[in-house]
Amino acid sequence: MEPIPPPRPGDVPMVPVPLNELFMMAAEYERAKRWPEADRLLNHILAVAPNQADSLHLAGIVSFRLGRHTQALEQMERAIAHGVDTPLYLRNICEVYRSLGRLDEALASAQRAAALSPSDPLCLHNLSVIHYERLELDESIACADRALAMNAGLPGAHFARAEALLLRGDWAEGWEEYEWRFRIAEAAPLMPPTDRPQWDGTAFSDGRLLLVADQGFGDIIQFGRYIDWVLARCPDIVIACPPEVVSIMRQLCPSAAIAMRWEDSVPFRAYVPLSGLPRLHGTRPGNVPVQAPYLRADQARVAAWRQRLDGLVPAGFKRVGIVWAGRPTHNNDRRRSTTLASFGPIASVPRVALVSLQKGPSADQAGRYFGRAPLVNIGAEIGDYDDTMALLSSLDQMITVDTSVGHLSAALGRPTWIMLAHAPDWRWLMDREDTPWYPTVRLFRQKVAGDWADVMRRVGSALREG
Amino acid sequence: MTQLCPCGSGLRALHCCSLNVATLPPPEATRHLMPLVERALQAHRQGATATAEQLCLDVLELAPDRPGALSILYEIRKGQGRHEAAEVLLRRMVRFDPNNFLATNELVLLLLGRGLLADAETHARNAIRIAPENPQAHNLMGMIMTEAHRPAVGEYHYRRVLELTNARDPILLANLAWNLKNQGRMEEARALYEESATAAPDIRQTLLGWARLEEADRKFDSASAVLDRMEAKWPNDPAVRLSRAVVLGRMKRYDEALRELDQLAALTGDDGFGPTELLEKGRLLDQMGRFDDAFTAFQTGKRMAMERGGLQYMDAVADNLITRLRGFFTAGRLRTLPRAGVRQDVPQPIFILGFPRSGTTLIEQTLSVHPRICAGDELPLMNDISGLMPRMLASPLTYPEALAELWMGDQREGLDNLRDYYLQKVAQMGILQPGAAWFTDKMPLNETHLGLIALLFPQSPLIHVIRHPLDVMVSAISNLFTHGFNCSHSLETAALHYVRVMDLVQHYRAEMALRYLPIRYEEMVEDQEPTIRAILDFVGEDFDPRCLAFHENSRHARTASYAQVTEPLYDRSRFRYRNYRRQLEPVIPILRPVIERLGYTVD
Repeated sequence: MEPIPPPRPGDVPMVPVPLNELFMMAAEYERAKRWPEADRLLNHILAVAPNQADSLHLAGIVSFRLGRHTQALEQMERAIAHGVDTPLYLRNICEVYRSLGRLDEALASAQRAAALSPSDPLCLHNLSVIHYERLELDESIACADRALAMNAGLPGAHFARAEALLLRGDWAEGWEEYEWRFRIAEAAPLMPPTDRPQWDGTAFSDGRLLLVADQGFGDIIQFGRYIDWVLARCPDIVIACPPEVVSIMRQLCPSAAIAMRWEDSVPFRAYVPLSGLPRLHGTRPGNVPVQAPYLRADQARVAAWRQRLDGLVPAGFKRVGIVWAGRPTHNNDRRRSTTLASFGPIASVPRVALVSLQKGPSADQAGRYFGRAPLVNIGAEIGDYDDTMALLSSLDQMITVDTSVGHLSAALGRPTWIMLAHAPDWRWLMDREDTPWYPTVRLFRQKVAGDWADVMRRVGSALREG
Repeated sequence: MTQLCPCGSGLRALHCCSLNVATLPPPEATRHLMPLVERALQAHRQGATATAEQLCLDVLELAPDRPGALSILYEIRKGQGRHEAAEVLLRRMVRFDPNNFLATNELVLLLLGRGLLADAETHARNAIRIAPENPQAHNLMGMIMTEAHRPAVGEYHYRRVLELTNARDPILLANLAWNLKNQGRMEEARALYEESATAAPDIRQTLLGWARLEEADRKFDSASAVLDRMEAKWPNDPAVRLSRAVVLGRMKRYDEALRELDQLAALTGDDGFGPTELLEKGRLLDQMGRFDDAFTAFQTGKRMAMERGGLQYMDAVADNLITRLRGFFTAGRLRTLPRAGVRQDVPQPIFILGFPRSGTTLIEQTLSVHPRICAGDELPLMNDISGLMPRMLASPLTYPEALAELWMGDQREGLDNLRDYYLQKVAQMGILQPGAAWFTDKMPLNETHLGLIALLFPQSPLIHVIRHPLDVMVSAISNLFTHGFNCSHSLETAALHYVRVMDLVQHYRAEMALRYLPIRYEEMVEDQEPTIRAILDFVGEDFDPRCLAFHENSRHARTASYAQVTEPLYDRSRFRYRNYRRQLEPVIPILRPVIERLGYTVD
């Protein structure tokens, strides 16, 4: 979403200020990500001039940033009503429609924006993203191609193209395009600036390779499988990773030095992100390195958690682990996450106990659950991933949305069912119930965007069938 | 400062409720007042109350702790019906002279009469400490324990009286009979009532208790016979009419029951037709479908109970405790606290949780038909433990903060000790039956202590009975109960407390791993067998078809629900609130968030 150009910074002065100057300040606040302040100013402007299109549009952007998507839509629709055919408004409203799952309207707005502004590659980038979400992958790739024809260095369009190619199974080309992910304006830098080169996969034994455990915990678990492949080429590695996954990394490479802070990192000859290893390995859907289980839970912990579950779950009940939401800051969280309440069809399966491994802000839904199956909120007692692995090893079945716990369960070789949004993450490919990444995973896909009820019914039936 | 004390003692506040004990003169300094006390005593004996009163006030002005003057003034105020002043004076007597056995006994009686059982128990224990072989002290303890839902302990004290007196006092026998009735030992109770009534045929309370026993034991003809006998002796006795109405109501002869109550109202006027009678009338009208009249009776009864000094909702106390519980029981802290071990050598508790009148008795009666589950009824033990905790954990803090002692090296077994206290009391209560693996504890609102329960009994099933909140409110307004900090004195406070507790339960469930099963009362009524199977599955016991016929359970449920649980499941109790939709309007906004959370609607 493009912000309004900024004229001048500064706080609200204690003298009367013309509305247009206030608007400039609001735009500056928005650009500086000081959304509550921008919101306050825009509310003031709109109280005086309720139909001022630019203010409505900017207010819509700010509402969207603050997570008030419905209000954002209402403000942007009013902006469009009062500032007809402004391509910028149309370009931005399509993102709001997309986030609310109103894909037809998102597509129509994006197409209209592209028609009004035929030389704007960002409109085509938007179209590419919306086509991806509608699983119209050829159209998605075509739009990204058109955008790149106008501006070959547009990282977003490359990344949109990468995701569509990877999801379609065109991994050779997809991996190359995927490398653009670090150039996206809003992407966090992989690491502090360095004069060392990114590793190209060539073996060396006269120096150390820095392996950066990047992206989310799920990615780290999934791509951790490549560490053996790396060690075969570079035996001396140091792994930079967040503290939460240290024990997983130690398991995958007991000999590696581990740095949790950049200042603790040792000198290295080259670096590589974990998420870049499939490209270097030349991974294709038919040659994914699979050694599942490639993680193992600590047996003493398994015994302790099993004993804890024995006391909490009625004897003879199937122990079904569940997770219904991912990290809320994930770009795709609104689509990939559901609610505990939606698990009704699973909770109605006789002699099933739900064992919640949910962590984070959604975990409190456990307090509002009144389904038929007993729910054990073991998530409240989980301290770290070692606990999670031990618990997963004590369950009969894991059912989760697309989160790191799904990867962990699968990496442990446990029976894992992953429920996917209509347009899933690229790694799950299209139209298949299995995945080349994990042999014990079964995928349940939304047939209609946002329709978790149908997914839950199918999962419930599968669970009932045993 | 000459202002008289608001308690009505007639003393200045400075020498009464605002008294600073440090300013009291030593007893030797006020010896010269003794003749005045003697004169006051004499005047009181001779009926010269005004003189006695003035003399006492004069003495107490100079020596506010002078026992004789306090005692006489107490008698005078009691005689005048100035109960608050009388209680203040009596408490002062006991405070200044803790070995005053008579005053202590008197205070126990007074507190018992006001329903302040915990307070009464404290002083009753003191009375026994002062005079361990005094029959009256044991008798009072027996009464308190019986009323405080610890009938087995009460029985012990009554039987001590029998030993100490070596006589079979008819009133004591009747008290013991009432105690045994509360334990469900109907035949033994009946025999004692017969013996008592034979020895002293004209004691009203004995016969009333006997009639209640027969009614509770579903021997309606016998109950009627006892009431006939009373009627002949005390024509138009209000208590007899009320009992008759109750019996007729249970026989579904509602018109006749109502007629009894109307006649009672005509006989006694407002003074005699109090809260108990009005609530009974409301329940009859409800059965007859006269809902507006029923609600008016309920409301009038509740209002009258308040006007007559009924206990008010302890809003600030409830709010304070619940806020502190939320603050203490958090996932982060719970990860650092130990859990009690699970005893394999004794039956384990099944906690049946729920707001009063939400169906907990029904679940207990159903489960306790099962040969491996016995009924514990409403066990006050979690509440007791919360009070005893600072002492047992040697903590300067109160519950729940006292649980912080569990981090100390010398208190790592603290939870085991608290658990054993609970189990030991259960064993004393005589609840446990041979062959039982489980016993139930259905103390309403135990869910307030869900965190503590899960620490003490981490593997015990927690069965939470959920019912449409508006139905719970109808039951709350139509019954008198003191659970929940006396919240039932009005619809609004009942609703407020209900929401507070349900929010607290939500908090516990979000912060802890619990062996928790919500059971909907409505499903139990609509779909009995699957619901019972689900509960037994959850407990880990095989289904027993006898549980379906819980109304044939020979066990007598002691609580207010007993009349309902002796009948097969009926549909009338579901969504009963619809009959009172208009009257419940004020509490719907308070309850709406919980109604929606529980998945109910308001029709």
